[in-house]
Amino acid sequence: MLPFEQISAERLEFSYEDRKIFTDLTFSIGKNQSVLLLGPSGSGKSTLAFCLNRLYPEAVDGVLKGSISYEGQSLEAFKAGELNQKIGIVFQDPESQFCMLTVEEEVAFGLENFHIPREQMELKIDRALELVGLQNDKKTTIHTLSGGQKQKLALACVLALEPEVIILDEPTANLDPVSSSELVETIALIKNERPFTLIVIEHKLDDWVELIDTCLVLDSNGSLLFEGTPAQCFGEFASFLKKEGIWLPKVVEAALTAKIAGMYRGERLPLLKSELLAGLDYSFDFSKKISKTLAIKEPILEVKGIHARGHLKNINLTIHKGEQVALVGSNGAGKTTLSKCLAGLIPVTQGEIQFLGVPLSKWKEKDLFQKLGYVFQNPEHQFITDSVFEEIAFGLEHRASALSILEKIGLEKHANAHPFALSQGQKRRLSVATMLVHEQELLILDEPTFGQDANTAHEIMEILEEKSGAVMMITHDMELVDQYADTVHVLDAGELIFSGTPESLWENEEIVNRARLKLPFRKQLQDEFVRREIHVAT
Amino acid sequence: MLAKWKLREVIVLSVLAVVFAVVYLLFLQLGTVLFGLFGLIGYDMIFGIWFIVSIIAAYIIRKPGAAFLSETVAATVEVMLGNAVGPQLIISGMIQGLGAEAVFAATKWKNYSTWVLMAAGMGSSVFSFAWGFYVSGFAALSPGYVTAMFFVRLVSGALLAGLLGKYLSEGLAKTGALSSFPLGKEHKRNVTV
Amino acid sequence: MSLHEVNPSIKAFAVVISILILSLFFDPITPLLTIIWAVSITFIFGRISFKKWILLFAPFLFIAIIYVWSTMLFPRLHAGDSVIWKWGFLTLTAEGFQRGVSLGLRVLSFATLSIMFTLTTKPTDFLLSLMQQCKLPPKLAYGIMAGYRFLPLIKEEFQTLQNAHRVRGVARARTIPEKVKQIKRYVIPLLAGAIRKAERTALAMESKGFTGDKNRIFYREITVSRIDWLFFTLMIGAVLLSTFISWKLGYLQFYNGEL
Repeated sequence: MLPFEQISAERLEFSYEDRKIFTDLTFSIGKNQSVLLLGPSGSGKSTLAFCLNRLYPEAVDGVLKGSISYEGQSLEAFKAGELNQKIGIVFQDPESQFCMLTVEEEVAFGLENFHIPREQMELKIDRALELVGLQNDKKTTIHTLSGGQKQKLALACVLALEPEVIILDEPTANLDPVSSSELVETIALIKNERPFTLIVIEHKLDDWVELIDTCLVLDSNGSLLFEGTPAQCFGEFASFLKKEGIWLPKVVEAALTAKIAGMYRGERLPLLKSELLAGLDYSFDFSKKISKTLAIKEPILEVKGIHARGHLKNINLTIHKGEQVALVGSNGAGKTTLSKCLAGLIPVTQGEIQFLGVPLSKWKEKDLFQKLGYVFQNPEHQFITDSVFEEIAFGLEHRASALSILEKIGLEKHANAHPFALSQGQKRRLSVATMLVHEQELLILDEPTFGQDANTAHEIMEILEEKSGAVMMITHDMELVDQYADTVHVLDAGELIFSGTPESLWENEEIVNRARLKLPFRKQLQDEFVRREIHVAT
Repeated sequence: MLAKWKLREVIVLSVLAVVFAVVYLLFLQLGTVLFGLFGLIGYDMIFGIWFIVSIIAAYIIRKPGAAFLSETVAATVEVMLGNAVGPQLIISGMIQGLGAEAVFAATKWKNYSTWVLMAAGMGSSVFSFAWGFYVSGFAALSPGYVTAMFFVRLVSGALLAGLLGKYLSEGLAKTGALSSFPLGKEHKRNVTV
Repeated sequence: MSLHEVNPSIKAFAVVISILILSLFFDPITPLLTIIWAVSITFIFGRISFKKWILLFAPFLFIAIIYVWSTMLFPRLHAGDSVIWKWGFLTLTAEGFQRGVSLGLRVLSFATLSIMFTLTTKPTDFLLSLMQQCKLPPKLAYGIMAGYRFLPLIKEEFQTLQNAHRVRGVARARTIPEKVKQIKRYVIPLLAGAIRKAERTALAMESKGFTGDKNRIFYREITVSRIDWLFFTLMIGAVLLSTFISWKLGYLQFYNGEL
């Protein structure tokens, strides 16, 4: 079937602490293929990837059964570390995959491990950094790089070893949309220049679809569900994948929705936007669902000309009772700084913030945080007790009412668990809930859906929709802005460059480009549709 | 000694050491305040905190060398941080670590009960006091005062290193972060049984 | 010659040996001369800004003053000590005063030597040198390096935790049990996060082929030259010279640990 089988796995089974992560996997991967490894969370995708270059089972106390061979040779026949030169891996978390202080030292680390002669190292480092576009950062301290640059560095470290296979384990999970697309572009370019086998594990599929030639799908029990081309995978099995909790590319998702509504004519679901548009019925409505209009505009937070620590310049904005506000902008634009100023966590150097008619500086901290909540990016930071129940009950007058709140967020069964031992999504829900117990008038959230799966993201938005007070959310997710926000504020380099409805933002091309935003998928489609209509008409 | 250690264990040990190196430096400031209030013995009251990483690392990882290495690495990191006492601190760290390691060695690295942890804290107290006696010139002080210092440090080692170390480690086990270490596994067994 | 270029291991070794020699004696002159020496070379050959230096030195100065104070308050009294001043239970003897000053200067001499090392040595160089010259196992050295990288992260997390606790309305700890709880509230999340990251880092390092193998070709070679040994000899020589001068002046005294 394949021209040359580079990696083949037979009846693989991995168990860890008496729990089977995956079972009975048999598949093979050909040289220079681009494979997308799909599966719901917990299906063992990462574990499988780590087994392929023999990091597992040694690194954890797990048991691997079955056999994997690389170019016809069993993995066990390779010396420790030997395989790592052939199969490189880029991990999800940009913060925890380096061990040196500067960029060049980090790339050199890998070369040193393989005893590359010193006189060759410099050249190899330069070449690898050039491939990913970091050649000007050779001496830079890794800590000062952005998330996207860190992931490019991780890729450079792998490329310097000239591997035959590169595994990417959710490399864009912690990046903003623009940086994600850039990373994918970089990878596509390099692959053109210097072929290698690519194995990608990813949730956000849109950027990858065109690069991929094979899909491997695992189900929630860790068995192989499907192996084949993306066209087949998404074209024929989309609804099935969706049921399994696997993310779909937005084009496929949209086509699926349209098809169910009887508005998509194509036989197979499309992979490309153009295919989608070609198959769509003309009656398809691209407009947004109408957002609730606020009858009475009663301001609760007024920001008048604030400056802060050189980050923020002359910010003016108002948040009204019950308003859903989004705060967007590229990394480093000052979103988090502004949000912390609004909560009184960072002092302003100039200007004034009034909350419920009283200057922020006049509020007693204890009273302020009964009326104003702040949800941090990492939910763990907010946990201060040993149990889920105590987290909610903390500061409540009627501790018993904590239980009903837990029921609301579906955590009543975990009341006695340690907050840290919850799953990512559960932690997120709990951290939002701790900020709702006092019925705060204003809740500020710093990227609440960041790194969450689709279900959790929706659950959080549902919790927030039910809430009576105003919500201000920092986010990179324009779909979220499009769907939920009444007002959106755009920050760029510490300045507020736009305030208005999402719809009016999407129309303002200049602002969208300046703040490095991506249009929501709905809008992208609509624009393309209009362009086509014009084309057809002329 | 390191051959039997997995890289994962080495790095976790090192991270523990880094976190506590920072804690140690913070306590150095508190120590200086107590020092100002009570004189030399002020330091001895909180001296135990400077052994805590030995206890925590040994209790979590349970391998020969954990107590010694963690304290040594913590001291090295303090030196690397630049605002510490200088390279001889590494020697102090080694000696403190040896004190705790000696107690764990006496149990053949098998027993990690509360008493052993407290004894290990006291072991560090004894070793560090002997070293401090030599380097810091305690002999200039009156014998009664020196004896008082010794006992205060002994108690501090048992409480601030031994007991507090155990308390923090167990708090950490509850978070599930130690699931791949002996302490985490023990905790899990206790919860499920 | 620049102190920054001296081999870090040899520099550390010179400082430690100097301190061990200084520990042998107990008088005001030896440490005083050593302080003058250490401070001079720090500024002449280290080209260190005074501001940086004094920032590190100030706490030691404070400690030294307290040391003098402690030895004066709780002196080891000997028959025949000459009393200079007496007030209530406080007795100041000439000998006690000298001992106090000796102890204080001793602390400062250790400090000046250490600061010389600290301000002229890069952490990465120090670890590379420990591996290349002192045969520190790479597994441990790179483990330390990886841990060291976490510092800025941990600092940021600590600040975030402080803010998060404020928002949750955690009251300031006043009693001791409250304080212990507060330590736990900070340390546990910091450690839990750090441990999980550490495990991921270990995996990432192994994925780059790191096995802890002792045969390693280093991208940056830290060398030992004659100048390094010259530096070492000069350092030890200076300390010995200080003791010699002190002996000539009739101050030198062995430090005897007996009570």
